[in-house]
Amino acid sequence: MRNCYGYCQGNCIHRTSIGKGIKMKEISQLVIPEDVRYTRDHEWARVEGEIVRMGVTDYAQEQLGDIVFVEVPQMGRRYAKGEECGALESVKAVAEVYMPLGGQIAGINSTLEGSPGLVNSSPYTDGWIAEVKPSEISDMEGLMTHNEYIEMLKGSRQ
Amino acid sequence: METPERTVLFDSHKALGARMVEFGGWEMPIEYPSGVIKEHLGVRSGAGIFDVSHMGRFIIRGDSALRFVQHVLSNNAEALDLAPTAAQYTLIPDETGAAIDDAFLYRFVEGEYLLVVNAANRKKDWDHFQLHAGTFAGLELLDVTYDMAMLALQGPGSRRIIEEVADDVAGLPEPSRNAVGIVSIAGVRVMIARTGYTGEPLGFEMFVDGKDAPRLWDLFLEKGAVPSGLAARDTLRLESSLPLYGHEFGIDRQGREIPCFAFPIAKLAVSFSPLKGDFVGRGALGKQFAAYSKIIARDYSLISSLPRMFMCVALTGKGIARAGAEVLMGGKPVGYVSSGTMIPYREFEDKGLLSRQTGEHKLRALCLAYLDSDIVEGDKLAVEVRGNLVEAVVVEYHLRSDAPPYAHPIVQDHDILELPLFCPRKFCREGGRLADPGPEVPVKPSDGPSLLLRKAVENTRWRQHECINLIPSEMTPSPMVRLLSITDPAFRYAEHKGAKAFYETEIFYYQGTDFIAEVEWRLEEEFRKYLGCAEAETRVISGQMANMTVYGAMVDYINRADRRSEPRRLRAVMNNHIGRGGHLSAQPMGALRDFVARDPRTERPAVTNFPVLPENPYKIDIPATLDLIDSCRPELIILGKSMFLHREPVAEIRKHLIETGLDSVLMYDAAHVLGLTGPYFQQPFAEGADLVTGSTHKTFFGTQRGLIASRYEQSEERYELWEAIRRRTFPGAVSNHHLGTMVGLLMAAYEMNFFKDQYQPKVIANAKAFARALKECGFDVAGDPATGFTETHQVLLNVGYARGAEVAKRLEANNIICNYQATPLDEGFTSASGIRMGVSEMTRFGMSEKDFQSLADLMKAIVIDGANPLDKVKSLREQFRELHFCFTGDEYAELMESLRKL
Repeated sequence: MRNCYGYCQGNCIHRTSIGKGIKMKEISQLVIPEDVRYTRDHEWARVEGEIVRMGVTDYAQEQLGDIVFVEVPQMGRRYAKGEECGALESVKAVAEVYMPLGGQIAGINSTLEGSPGLVNSSPYTDGWIAEVKPSEISDMEGLMTHNEYIEMLKGSRQ
Repeated sequence: METPERTVLFDSHKALGARMVEFGGWEMPIEYPSGVIKEHLGVRSGAGIFDVSHMGRFIIRGDSALRFVQHVLSNNAEALDLAPTAAQYTLIPDETGAAIDDAFLYRFVEGEYLLVVNAANRKKDWDHFQLHAGTFAGLELLDVTYDMAMLALQGPGSRRIIEEVADDVAGLPEPSRNAVGIVSIAGVRVMIARTGYTGEPLGFEMFVDGKDAPRLWDLFLEKGAVPSGLAARDTLRLESSLPLYGHEFGIDRQGREIPCFAFPIAKLAVSFSPLKGDFVGRGALGKQFAAYSKIIARDYSLISSLPRMFMCVALTGKGIARAGAEVLMGGKPVGYVSSGTMIPYREFEDKGLLSRQTGEHKLRALCLAYLDSDIVEGDKLAVEVRGNLVEAVVVEYHLRSDAPPYAHPIVQDHDILELPLFCPRKFCREGGRLADPGPEVPVKPSDGPSLLLRKAVENTRWRQHECINLIPSEMTPSPMVRLLSITDPAFRYAEHKGAKAFYETEIFYYQGTDFIAEVEWRLEEEFRKYLGCAEAETRVISGQMANMTVYGAMVDYINRADRRSEPRRLRAVMNNHIGRGGHLSAQPMGALRDFVARDPRTERPAVTNFPVLPENPYKIDIPATLDLIDSCRPELIILGKSMFLHREPVAEIRKHLIETGLDSVLMYDAAHVLGLTGPYFQQPFAEGADLVTGSTHKTFFGTQRGLIASRYEQSEERYELWEAIRRRTFPGAVSNHHLGTMVGLLMAAYEMNFFKDQYQPKVIANAKAFARALKECGFDVAGDPATGFTETHQVLLNVGYARGAEVAKRLEANNIICNYQATPLDEGFTSASGIRMGVSEMTRFGMSEKDFQSLADLMKAIVIDGANPLDKVKSLREQFRELHFCFTGDEYAELMESLRKL
């Protein structure tokens, strides 16, 4: 997940997005659960039986600010690992969502249409984005653990 | 990259946990921890406080300051007159007609201008000014950006906060857009203006010494203002379709300069007044304006001067239009999005004047788009969002700011409310309780006639038998007047005109008119007798028409020497301010509009309002008015009001006109007080009025008509004005002049001339008793206590800011009928805090001083105690069903019976 917002002429505030703003929360204040795996683009993935549930991290939602629109992946479509599959829009910025692992979309969180703010308030629970039927469940092993993700966040802050 | 600058409030923002970003060379809060949505809604529902100290601030002063600002800015700086209009939106054009910047110009003190420019453009603007400053001797240009801080307090709650923190409210700006003042807040000198960048109808921008800003900031937070960052500032301005330099001004996506008139707001910010003279960019802007004028009439012959314009676009499909997104129509590219995002808005419940914000909010995707100029409102577009096309539509606006205290979102897909046939009354009155009657059962078209009959009976019974009628412009006429009004002349014509060839004999254009001709002649006679004047014109059918007829006649009269040139309008008029009791019929926004010239200096209608007393805005300040008459030299002076508590200074103004030799026409609009004219109130002609106009159905006893009367004798030159009034009446204003009500009015005039010495003092005594009783009940009663608050039939209450409509509705639900009214402190009728009442109708139904005291108690129960004493109101009315001050008795019984049978 990264900022994809471009056009402006200088007299504007739109260039600020992920990583560019001065931090509001310390890393220790972020919720980073241990039961999910992470991508470098700040998505998370959790194995739940046959499927993998995915969303974006507390860090991502916090950086974006109030989320006002969520474009969820297409139901039933197959995506490759790392492929762009949706977008989160805050008032000021747009962020793309990438597939943490390859697979077919088996479910989408349709409540986000009316309540996009769920991604802000509960990014790992009610604010989930999609359920994926993975092509290779072993892809999960390639994702970062809780500790690795924290290390990465610390690194990017230096 | 240079280190960004910090405002004096930097530490305050950090302490609040703001997310800081670099913007225009400054490190500014983009949002606070509560987030942009809460901040946006906080402004729309309450009040938000913004640090806008990063904006550039220049002082321009010295002998040639005015000439300089007229040269480098697009607006007419000479129109800034300290009060009430001392701030204006303006552009800094270049020679090609593009904007170097957009800005706000303030005039807080004589001889000095303060210009606020965009932070990112400050250096560029400064250099541009330096380039032009050379030829202006004695010009002083100062950059005070670092000395002065700037705060914006915006939102419906901002006014309450400002009034709470101000050491003395006297210095606050008047309740109109762009008014300014200098006030002390917590001992700090604050230059304060009713301006802002949020679309809020209520909002203030403040300039203070930098060192004092943190203290004020904390004070506003303490009072409940929501700290709001640049993100909310951007969504608020976008929702209200205000331009942002770099998006809507400057250069476009292709790198071409954007013409100023591409943003329609330019028409308010560019002046072509000859008095302004030549200025940078005038020629190019003139071309754009010519193109703009044609484009809005959908004539595209000059479109090459203005190929694209900014329009409001609402997304109807799913997605958000972002700046830079391509816009298509019918598959063809037609422009791009200049600013766009998803914006939260409060939902409103109920409708019309009673609509109010709920705690709920929704989101909507809005944008401003730079589109081909031949695109019009309603055109269906598609916006490209991440490779997909999202449906969108061109709309007129996204938000309305014209119903203070709230800004109202205009939502694309809202339900159009259809009024049912004979809209049900909002409240059920049964059992004294208020309850929503629920939806009315739909009616078949064939039910229409019987339904109308039934409802007309119900309505008349309700207003005549069950309601206390206190609207000061209304009167129930006597049974004789009513019956006469529907006799045969009600269906006839009687056009007539004096013919000089026949020694001014009135020539009638139709036959069968002898009766109505006699009625009209006798009616004029009765009014001449009543008012003590030379002439009366009774064919005008309303007070408003009477005034328009006089204005038209004035224009006719002042152009009498030259019938070939374009007639000129009245050069200068003096009147009562609409917010201080003046009526629409004497305002440039009302009946006066087409008859008064624009002042070439200000480009506004050449109307000057009478100054009023600081302690009583319903009383004219006579010495100040006489001074103003000397400087304005008005051709027409219009006295008279719709909030009419005190005598108008007719004699004083007449004396002054005689002493100074000024021959202004002195007109007295007696609409409200026509029935009080006489020794108990005031006698305009005896005191020196030239003309009296009025309506015949407020304090007077008549049917609903108008009147013009004059003191001019046939022997004097000004009689030509009277002749013009006759011509502007017919054939100018009326062809059919509603003959039925004229018959009724003659009877009403007989009644008035016969009963006035009993009726008039009783009305005034009742009004004073009512006002006193209301005061004792705890109401805030307007007017001079020394004269018992009122010298007329009217009583005015202040029931609290923006509470007028709601209080009037609650009184109506309890069968007390009055009307809410904007007071001098209100922005407009939607934020009215006044309740206006008149005692004349109920006096005629026999109510006396002690009855008005009982009524005051009932009003206290309703308004102050929140009770619903509907039954008590009905029983009070029950005692006063018979109309007085009219002819009754056996001698008329037989004739009345035949009238009824006709």
